[in-house]
Formats: sequence, C-alpha cells, structure tokens
Amino acid sequence: MGDIVRVQTVEHAKQNPQYAQALADLLFQLADDDFILAYRGSEWLGLAPHIEEDVAFSSMSQDMMGHAVMCYQMLEDLGLGKADDLAQLREAVTFRNAILVERKNGAGEYNDNPHYDWAYAIVRSYVYGLHKQVRLEALLQSSYEPLALISRKMLTEHRYHLMHWQVWLKQLANSTPEARHKLEAAITKVWEDAGELSSLGQNAEHIVRFGLIAGEELLRQKWLSNMKDIFQKAGLSWPGEPGVPGEKGRAGEHTADLVQALATLSEVYRMDPAAKW
Amino acid sequence: MQTQIERFDMTEDEKMEAFLARIDRGEKMEADDWMPDDYRNQLIKLISMHGMSEIMGALPEKEWVPKAPTLRRKLAIMAKVQDEMGHGQLLLRVAEDLIAPLGKTREDMMQDLFTGRLKFHNVFHMEAPTWADAGVIGWLVDGAAIITQSMSLDTSYAPYARALHRICAEEKFHAQHGESIVLELAEGTAEQRQMLQESITRWWPSLLMFFGPPENGNITSNQASNMRYRIRSQTNEELRQIFLKKYLPRVFHLGFTVPDDTIYFDEAEDKWVYQQPDWEEFKQIVKGNGPRSAHRLNLREMSYEETKWVRDAIMSFGRRVG
Amino acid sequence: MSMEAKANENFFIYEVFSQKNVSASFVHQFSLLAPNEEVALTMARENFLRREPCFNLWVVKRDHIHGLPPEERPFLERLDNKSYRETKGYGDLQARWRHHKEQYEEQQKHAGNGS
Repeated sequence: MGDIVRVQTVEHAKQNPQYAQALADLLFQLADDDFILAYRGSEWLGLAPHIEEDVAFSSMSQDMMGHAVMCYQMLEDLGLGKADDLAQLREAVTFRNAILVERKNGAGEYNDNPHYDWAYAIVRSYVYGLHKQVRLEALLQSSYEPLALISRKMLTEHRYHLMHWQVWLKQLANSTPEARHKLEAAITKVWEDAGELSSLGQNAEHIVRFGLIAGEELLRQKWLSNMKDIFQKAGLSWPGEPGVPGEKGRAGEHTADLVQALATLSEVYRMDPAAKW
Repeated sequence: MQTQIERFDMTEDEKMEAFLARIDRGEKMEADDWMPDDYRNQLIKLISMHGMSEIMGALPEKEWVPKAPTLRRKLAIMAKVQDEMGHGQLLLRVAEDLIAPLGKTREDMMQDLFTGRLKFHNVFHMEAPTWADAGVIGWLVDGAAIITQSMSLDTSYAPYARALHRICAEEKFHAQHGESIVLELAEGTAEQRQMLQESITRWWPSLLMFFGPPENGNITSNQASNMRYRIRSQTNEELRQIFLKKYLPRVFHLGFTVPDDTIYFDEAEDKWVYQQPDWEEFKQIVKGNGPRSAHRLNLREMSYEETKWVRDAIMSFGRRVG
Repeated sequence: MSMEAKANENFFIYEVFSQKNVSASFVHQFSLLAPNEEVALTMARENFLRREPCFNLWVVKRDHIHGLPPEERPFLERLDNKSYRETKGYGDLQARWRHHKEQYEEQQKHAGNGS
C-alpha cells in the first residue's frame, strides 16, 4: 500500500487533485447516506407507535441530519459549493447514497395517507446503523485528519442510536408471533438492498489507496460479522448473503423515490437559492 | 406550610371549605390531594386539551420539516417539532395521573381524540400552505401559547405548574426560531415579503380566536370556576390584549398589515379595539370541522391503529421477561 | 374494544432520575410510559434531557416508589429553632478570633517598642 500521507488541512488536500477528488467522492457518500435517511426518519414524526418513542426517534433523525451537515460543510471547505446548495440543488444523478436509504418508509406519503412499516424502520435503521458504525470506526484512521475528527464526534452520538435500535430489534423479535413475522418480512426487504452499503463507489480504488478509509471487503466482513452476532443474540435466523439493488446508488443510479424526496427537500430553497432564508 | 384535608370526620361540605381555604392561601395541590370533582374535571379538560394540542400541533409544522430552505432551518424545525411532542408527553402524563383514579388511561384519551370528544386548539386545525406559515406559527402562534402558559405557571395544580416550567424554558427557543424566519423573510425579496404578508393575513382570525371568546362582562361558569380555583388567573380577553400589545406593533414595524381596517389602539381604555372574528366558525373548527381537522386526525388515527401491533408486542416482551 | 386489548395499552409509569456530572446527586426529572425498563431507559434521555448534560440515568417503576399520603406530609414539618446545629448559631466566632488576634498583635507591638 505504501506510505499513507497524513493530510491535516483542506489546503493540503487540494494540492493533490486526485486526493481531493477521492475525498469528495467519499464525503458525498457519507453526507448523502445520512441526509436521505434522516429525511426518511423525519417522515415518521407524529406517526411513531408511542409518543415517548416519537420524541426519541426524532432525536436520532436530528443527529443524523447534523452528521450530514458536517460532511456537506467539509465539502464546502473543499470548494465544491455551499453546503445548502450541495444538499438541495443537486440532481439525483449526482447523489451517492446507497439505495437502501432512499426507499420509502411504506405506502403513501408522509402527509397523504402514510402506511408506514415500523418493522422496516427498525431493521433498515439498524442494518444501516451497523454499517455506519464500522465505517466511522474505520474513518478514525483516515489519512484526512479533519474527517477522522468529525468521525469521532459522530461516533459519540451514534452509540445511542445503535443501542436504541438494538433494544427494539431484540424486543420485537422475542414478543408476539405477529411482530416476529413482520420483522422477518422487513429483514427480507432490507436484505434486497443491504449489500450495497459497504460499496465505496466507482472511485473506490483511489479512496482506499489514499488511506481515506479501509477497503470495501474489510468493511463488509466486519459489518456482516457484527450483524450475525446481533441476529444470533436476538434469536433471529441469519438470512444469508445480503443482495444488491438493480440500481447502483453509489454510482448515481437512483429510483423515483429519491427524485421525489429531493423535490420535497429543495422545494422552498429552489424558489430563490440566492435569497436569505 | 401545607394543611391537609380528608379527616374521616369531615363532611363533603367541610372538605370543600377546607379545600377552598387552601386555594385562597395560595397552596398548591398534588395528584393525591383531596379535590372536588369539578376541580379534577376542569383540570382534566384543560390539561388534556393542552397536551393534545401540542401533539396535533406537531403535524402542521412537520409539513415543513423536510422542505425547510436551509440545512440549519431543517435542523431547527426538527428540534422544534420534537419539543412540541415532548411537551405533549409531559402534559399527557399530568392528565393521565388525574384520570387514573377514574380508571382511565392514555388509550382512552387517544380514543377521545379520534372521536372528537377531546378537542385541541383551533390554530392546529388550520392550513399551513407556505414556508412563511412555518415562521408565523413559531412567531405568533407560539407567541400566543407562551402568553397563556406564562399565566398558568402560577396555577394551583402543582404537577401542571411543573410541566409548564419545563415547557416555558423551551418555548423561548421556539419564539426566537419563528422570529428568525420571519425577519429573514421581512428583510428579503419582494416575493418573500409577499409570502409573509399573505401568511399574516391568513392567520389573523385564528390568532384572535386562539384565546377564546371575549367575556363582555359575562364570564362563563367554566372560566369563573377556573379562576376561583386559581387554575387560571386571567380572562380570555385579558390574554388577547397582552398578545395584541406585544405583537401588533411589531407586525406594523415590519410594514405589514392585518385584515382589519377598523383596528386601533384606544389610549383611554388602554386596549386594542378590533373587529371580532366569527365565533360561530371558531366553534365549528374546535368541533373538528376546520380545514385540516379531519386530515390531521386521520393521520394520527391511522398510524395509531396500524402500529398497535408494536405496542402489543413490546408489552408482551415485558411480561415474559418479567 | 376487548379488555385484553385495553390492558396492552397500559404501559407502566417510570420515574426518571438523572445525574448531571460525577459530583452531582441524582435529580428527579419527570415520568414516562414504557412497557419495561429497557425501553424506558432508551427513551429517558431524549424525552427529558435534550438540553442538559446527562452523566448517568435511573428509571424506577412508580409502583416501587414509596411516599407519604397527603395527610401524613405535615409530619415532615420542623420548627426552625435549632440553630445549635447550624452555622448560623455560631456567627460570633469569627469576630471573637479577630479580637484575640488584634489584642495579641497590639501586645507584640508594645513589647517591641518597650525594650
């Protein structure tokens, strides 16, 4: 692998265009993953099964949106544009999130006949959360020190998220037959997309070569191993190898779900991006 | 110093007399104190309505969470909606402890909400069709709520007061968040100013109605007993005047108008004189016939029903583990 | 609605206590409804400590908290006539020490001058 250069500042990063590009590619994945999943989380506001849980869940959506903002901010520092523009003015084809996070919460729209699936919310959040944990831990060793720093911050908040979803997964898996059944159906659905999470996209080779993060296979194995452990502890049967969706989200291939999500997210801003809001 | 009632030798009348004496001394009641039925019932009505209003109030604001025009605004509005639901939680807990001796639970309150027995504030039945509405809600609707809540901090029922203290601490941020949005629009482009003016025009009747009908010298028996019991200390009209005195000047300072050509401040009477909103319409709205009443109640009811399996499941887990 | 279904909605009341930092006492926050203590713990911080530091957390089922009914709470009242066990009952000490110190210093000065 050779010597990994330690890059401490954004100026230093910009000195090597290839490095800066690889860093940007990775940052977009981190930012877009959290931004879109936080949006999906916010669609659940007021609809959660229990009021106290609604309050707790909304904290996690906030935290996650905050993490996305940290990454968009870092991209702004790299000179790629204003954070608000990056989040709200890009077309779907430039987004680098995994397909799993853009999937709808269920049938209907958040303000029009939503029929959201709590089992899916839990499984998706947790499976993504386990991947995020592995990713953040790997980023602690990133050659780009500012990224290692914000990863440490994100990990602090993320610990609670994992604990939260783990409790739900475990309790629902060991309660009623109906809950068990719904959980297993949700796992099947999540499994169709989950395999894409550990992908580092089309520029993976440079991302890894520059020491920005550990390799895809390493991340993937850690994530699978952690998940197997959790499933076993929860008494859930292992569903086997996770699949990948038809669209390659990390390469900018997305579904109508994302197009609609972005339209909602940017609706007001697009009225006048130059104005002060 | 607190004195207590409920000695076995006291008649109901004596207990009532002792209770009123406690109230008059400014003593505060706890959930397990003796209280006359109508005191309990008034509290239940008031606090459950307040709690459900916070819960239902999250829904119009939620419409704007994803659409908020900057990342910072998205975060701020998420935090605000979270707070609203948190406030609802606090108030429902207070109400739940009051209805528990009657054999009722949160489930009963939810069902009362869905059937329309349990009402929520008129403002949350209304449309919030633009981003400016998100600002106006934070600035003026929360502003109105803060006035009512501040009065209620001195309520004779201690658990309600304790919940209100927690709520008031967070409301400050809500008001500032609303003001921040509004000022940005007011200082912005012509389109932004127009959006804001239309919003203020739209919300004007609801804001007037928020405090309830004026008494015109005839205080309703409900209000009278609430004031006798020191559950509240000011009339609807008194609260509305506080609101108008604080916010109308600011609306005018920004160069906006309200849809009432007759409005003026009477220096001699020290009050704003305004055109009454349609109080019949107010009754209809609170009954559940507002523009968004059915839609929002439906959102709540559907999600509640569809997530019943979740509550059943975790309750079952608890029982098995013991 | 059947009685069974109704029973399932009756979560338990948990009282939440939190500790601000390692030197602080646990303080009561508020109560929440939860089906069991694990869920109560996951919800406690977000519901009551959004804007405050939370170093440690307890949840206790309300059933397990024992207090005094209203008619017994007067027993807690005390007379405020026990200054003998409070610092305010010993407010004269400082002045007296100062007096002795001044007297001594005065004596020292004279002894110095005298010889």
